Amino acid sequence: MVNPRRLQRRRRSIANIRKITRTMELIATARFKRALERVHAASAYTQRITRIVQRLATAGLEVSHPLLEPREEVRSARVLVLTSNRGLCGGYNANVLRAALPHWEECQKLPQAALEVSGKRGISFFRFRQIVPDQEYLHLAEKPTFDEVERLAEGYLEQFTAGELDRLDVVYTRFLSTAQQQVVVETLLPMSQLEEEPAAKKKPQEEETPAARGVVPYEFLPSAASILEQIVPVSFKTRLFKCFLDAVVSEQIARMVAMKAATENAEELLKNITRQYNRARQSRITSELLDVMGGVEALRGSS
Amino acid sequence: MAEALGAAKEQLRCVVVTPEDTVVDQPARFVALPLYDGELGVAPLRQPLVGRLGYGQLRIRHDGQTDSYYVDGGFVEVADNVVSILTSRAVPAEQIDIEEVREQLQAVSQRKTTDADSTEQKHQAMRRLQAQLRVAEKARG
Repeated sequence: MVNPRRLQRRRRSIANIRKITRTMELIATARFKRALERVHAASAYTQRITRIVQRLATAGLEVSHPLLEPREEVRSARVLVLTSNRGLCGGYNANVLRAALPHWEECQKLPQAALEVSGKRGISFFRFRQIVPDQEYLHLAEKPTFDEVERLAEGYLEQFTAGELDRLDVVYTRFLSTAQQQVVVETLLPMSQLEEEPAAKKKPQEEETPAARGVVPYEFLPSAASILEQIVPVSFKTRLFKCFLDAVVSEQIARMVAMKAATENAEELLKNITRQYNRARQSRITSELLDVMGGVEALRGSS
Repeated sequence: MAEALGAAKEQLRCVVVTPEDTVVDQPARFVALPLYDGELGVAPLRQPLVGRLGYGQLRIRHDGQTDSYYVDGGFVEVADNVVSILTSRAVPAEQIDIEEVREQLQAVSQRKTTDADSTEQKHQAMRRLQAQLRVAEKARG
């Protein structure tokens, strides 16, 4: 027979765990909201950048820039993997790393390849496989600020223009919507198209009033070409920043979902154990009652 | 629709966005921008414009008062009486720490440079800090 006291102890500890996971879910929800706000703020910026690029294009300027041109021969590649600092977020890190590892192995066939990892989880994953990342970042996984990312981006740009770097790939979880995130390997350098952002591309055109749609000629100061030259690096920086922000939002969503599932599991378990405990208690009472009644019967028989 | 247009004609809308936040979104009568080669004033009904910004002061005049910001390069787009300013940093002039900027300026000006690239970098950093200082000092009066 199951010991009711042991059951009760288990029940209590599960109730505690449920409390913890529920709190973690709430925290993740709050963090998620904050991170989402930052994504929206950043997309206000990228949308406007895209609009300016569209203006430049309608002005009849051919969009060309050293950062946009693919290299004929890729000799030196860099892979940047964005993971989280903390665990307990379901398959979030595992998914990113599952995409990152084969890609990194692919890149190692090139004469020169460097691996950069942001987030403790990713770092320990690669360390465990005897791969030591060339660069490790810990401060960018929780709350990346534009200043920090900009510094990183400037380093890449410098190396790219100097010819030391031919390709930059970022492995991260792209945030598509609250219900959908997707692990992607995105090549940021050389930049593909300037107006690639799928969400930002359509919207401004719909919002535009007829008067704004290129009917009035734009004035460019100093010149369209010079603005383009300046806007391409800015666009790269914001795109890299967006990767980091997306990663943070996706992490919080993953954690929210994982903790919700954990809480629900705990509830289920609690229900089962409570039932078992009640049954054990009842059967004990019954057997004790039977004992007493049996004793009474026996006494009556003997007298 | 016609009324909306008529009302919009008298006022500008000034929007300042950085990658982290929308810093300003307010109506304005007049906006002065730091372009790469000097200041540009924008009044309502200006011809559409796309321009490159330099380091300097952004002034927004509305309801008889003027707000002043330090803007760290970037771009501006003017269209339909909306002035959109895209910059990596926009700080209200009163919030600049003069002492800290002075210290940084001191440090940068003592930096030794060896080739054309680093000299250019140094000058750029100095221009930035000097612009910050100017904006901050103006705000203190």
